[in-house]
Amino acid sequence: MQVADLNQIDLQALARGDKRSWDTFVGAAAPLINAMVRRALAPYGLGEDDVMDAAQDVFVRLCAQDFRLLKTYDPARAGLSTWLAVVARSAAIDHARRRRRPTQPIDEVPETVLGVEDRHVEKLKIPQGLLTERQTLILKYLYDEEREVADIAQLLKVDPQTVRSTQHRALVRLRAYFREGTG
Amino acid sequence: MSTQRDDLPASDKELWRRLDANGAVGVRPVDDLEFAAWIEGRLGEAEAARLEASIAADPEMRRAALDIADILGKPLPAAPERMAIRARALVGFEAERQVARKGFGDWLLNWMAPSALRPAAVTMAAIAIAAGGFTMGGGLGASFAQHYEASGNQKAVSTSEASTDISEFFASDGI
Repeated sequence: MQVADLNQIDLQALARGDKRSWDTFVGAAAPLINAMVRRALAPYGLGEDDVMDAAQDVFVRLCAQDFRLLKTYDPARAGLSTWLAVVARSAAIDHARRRRRPTQPIDEVPETVLGVEDRHVEKLKIPQGLLTERQTLILKYLYDEEREVADIAQLLKVDPQTVRSTQHRALVRLRAYFREGTG
Repeated sequence: MSTQRDDLPASDKELWRRLDANGAVGVRPVDDLEFAAWIEGRLGEAEAARLEASIAADPEMRRAALDIADILGKPLPAAPERMAIRARALVGFEAERQVARKGFGDWLLNWMAPSALRPAAVTMAAIAIAAGGFTMGGGLGASFAQHYEASGNQKAVSTSEASTDISEFFASDGI
């Protein structure tokens, strides 16, 4: 069963603990949970057994205490597959943190994380309201995370050109503010 | 704050590194459903802005958002069969165990479970049976008489035992 079928699951029967609904749900959700758990655990360098255990943690979370977590899901607010991906990633990160500290190839670590900060250089605080939340988010993705414009555009569901123009406008505002010496 | 009119870095990246964006936006906790709704682009402008402030401030949430958007946008490989089997057993095990309950005790437990009145009724019945049995056995009066008689015999036995001991003592001394 493909991920698209997740949205056809009878959630009420599932929350009642119906065995057949649970089996159908597992079949539909397993590819997504598997992919999400693998992605979340990748920086931690954990093995296949940990992937299995973390995935099992996700399913346990969903059905524990009479399906308490599953019952909190509201289809009016978000799609089941997106919500499941959020839950799966969160459970996988918790599992990894219990197991060991993350390891990441040095080439994949952003420069900003590796760089030793010069404590004598006082950073200039950006005043609240100077940038919009979206401008701040885009600059963080571009410069702190060193992500590609295309990835950010996909996440924000906008054109890559929109990301570039948002970045440009934000930097113009920052330069204007600090060049004028306001603050 | 000092002015930086003349020494702003030419590079945008360098400029950003000289700045502290923490505190530039207000942050609040985000729940899983809100986060999922934001990823899907379902939120209104104001609500999305509030979430984006929180996401911008949290590196873990920034990474999570990109990972999730990426995974959801791709065809997914099948999960290992072992993963699905283990997950199915989580609910199947409990269901099968309930089906396997067929003894009188289990029937009684199941019968009692739905209502709080049933255990009370069973308790009352147990008390009535115990009281009936006790009455048929002679009741409290008979029990007391039996106990009294038993203790009287014991006293008599101990008195006669004591007098025999004294007689033997005197006899052994030739008195």
